[in-house]
Amino acid sequence: MNEFVLALAINGLVWGLIIALIALGLSIIFGLLDVINMAHGDFFMLGTVGGLVIAVSTGSFWLALLIVPLIGLLLGAAIEWLVIRPTVRQASLTIVTTFGLSMIIQEMVRATYGPQPRRMSAPIEGTIPLFGIDYDLYRIAAAIFSALCLAAFFLFLNRTKIGTWIRAVRHDPETATALGIPVTQITAFTFALGTAMALLGGVIAAPITTVEFRTGIDVLPFCFMAVIIGGLGNLQGTVAAAIMLAVLEGLVTSFVDPTTARIASLAFMSAVLLLRPHGLFSGATR
Amino acid sequence: MTLARARLICLAVFVLALLAVPYVLPAFGATFWVNIVAEILIWSLLAASVNLLLGFTGLLSFGQALYFGFGMYGVALSINNWDVGFLPALVIGIAAASAMAFVTGIFAVRLTWHYFAIITVVFSLIFYFAAMSTKWLTGGDDGLSFSPPPVIEIGDFSLTLADTTAQYYVILVIVAVAFALKALVVNSPLGLNFKAVRENDRRAALIGINVFRTRLAAFVIAGALAGTSGALFAFFGRYASASYMFYHVSGEAIVWAVVGGSGALLGPLFGTGALIVFRELASNFWENYLLAVGAITILVVMFAPRGIAGAWNDMLLALTARGGRSATTAIATAEPAGDAPDHAPTRSNADG
Repeated sequence: MNEFVLALAINGLVWGLIIALIALGLSIIFGLLDVINMAHGDFFMLGTVGGLVIAVSTGSFWLALLIVPLIGLLLGAAIEWLVIRPTVRQASLTIVTTFGLSMIIQEMVRATYGPQPRRMSAPIEGTIPLFGIDYDLYRIAAAIFSALCLAAFFLFLNRTKIGTWIRAVRHDPETATALGIPVTQITAFTFALGTAMALLGGVIAAPITTVEFRTGIDVLPFCFMAVIIGGLGNLQGTVAAAIMLAVLEGLVTSFVDPTTARIASLAFMSAVLLLRPHGLFSGATR
Repeated sequence: MTLARARLICLAVFVLALLAVPYVLPAFGATFWVNIVAEILIWSLLAASVNLLLGFTGLLSFGQALYFGFGMYGVALSINNWDVGFLPALVIGIAAASAMAFVTGIFAVRLTWHYFAIITVVFSLIFYFAAMSTKWLTGGDDGLSFSPPPVIEIGDFSLTLADTTAQYYVILVIVAVAFALKALVVNSPLGLNFKAVRENDRRAALIGINVFRTRLAAFVIAGALAGTSGALFAFFGRYASASYMFYHVSGEAIVWAVVGGSGALLGPLFGTGALIVFRELASNFWENYLLAVGAITILVVMFAPRGIAGAWNDMLLALTARGGRSATTAIATAEPAGDAPDHAPTRSNADG
């Protein structure tokens, strides 16, 4: 295999793990609240911008990595209370409200951070030799860290009380209420958690992408593809689909231009939506 | 005064006001605004296509920009390649959009709600990326410019779009015809089927309505409306660009439709008008005016889900209710609708 192709495939894997984190946030929000969050890409963008701003002002990327997801939790809780909860009964209209939210977030960032795209230097310098190519150390670290976050998320969901509650509310909110689970708070927390995951993905991705108010627009369709192909609400499926898609796009990009690769994956996604609306892995665990 | 008569008078005043625009606005030194009103008329058709699907058929499409784009390119490509006249180009644009809506609709209308919204946006993204990468055909981001042929040419007389006033009236006539046709469809048996499917697709199927065909018909008509909008916008701007096929254009159309009132026939016109006028006024001194648009969108969904048209109807009802007996019947026929989308035509029929 040609080294160039290999590099693109590894790039795809790195990007796929980060996207998996963001798409997982989108997926838990959809699974529990039935909300198609059009602002999710902008949450990611807020993460990149927040990461850059905090890293530059405090001089420590690691501090940003800690603070930004916490900001995400608070922001998510506030948005859920202000915007999502009052409109969640009109399920289809939440697409409209979150689109409005997306406009607000983008314009706020443009007004404060400015319209120019910026780049951020990686907190870990240097390269390591990998299968005969020199590969950015930070990208490897980002991939490992994302994988750890994914593992932590599933541990949290499956091994803690709150995680069990989230799964219970997802499964059947009425029975969950009857069993004394605080459904309203769990719903709010789930939205906040989904938001925080998008912002966390943003901080991780900040050093390997351009940081500007529009990045969310490109990321959103990709996250949706992962969520749909993995099966709406199927969390493991979302992760698998995100990684698979990113690696495939990385590989295909070495033969054709990126736009054609994107068209191919979108066409694949429509086929999945039509033929297997519960996702490619609908036979697997739900 | 009965509600129906009040409605009729308002409609007449509204139409007269639109007719007077090219003469009244320049008199106040606002010649520039004639084109803004023309632009509002054009975009309101795109909002109307969302309105037909969301308000009358119960489908939220996030991909109407695709058919807008096909309308644009239908006009631009046919004029550049085959040198056709105004009407043939317009028809080709609308036909291209309708055909595309038919083909994609066959797949899309099998799904509903979330899935429908997602598949429509996916289809529009596929063609957006395709149009962006086939620069030789579409001009990509830069677009494709053309010189519009005269609208009518009989002997020495010719009506061209070069004159702002003539262009305005051409646009007004076409938009008015489109809205009239939409009103006809909505009030026809087919329109009743749309509403039956919107309210409950299972019951609709049980009483013998073919839900798939009904949704497909609505989708194709909506595609034709979006295509008309795109074709007119191509004539208006003298160019077509792939950037108008992006999902943000679809999103804007949804915002216009929802703010205007998604269940009312003329809602899209009000919503588009209000937000474009706001854009023109605010963007001069406030670069981040979209902040307010986003906030307005959220607030309308929260507090006035029936939009401007809903508020207007309530006001008319309240005003005519003071009048006397007939108005109470109007309220009686109107109230059962509850907070469901406004049934403007049914209501006036029941009254008249």
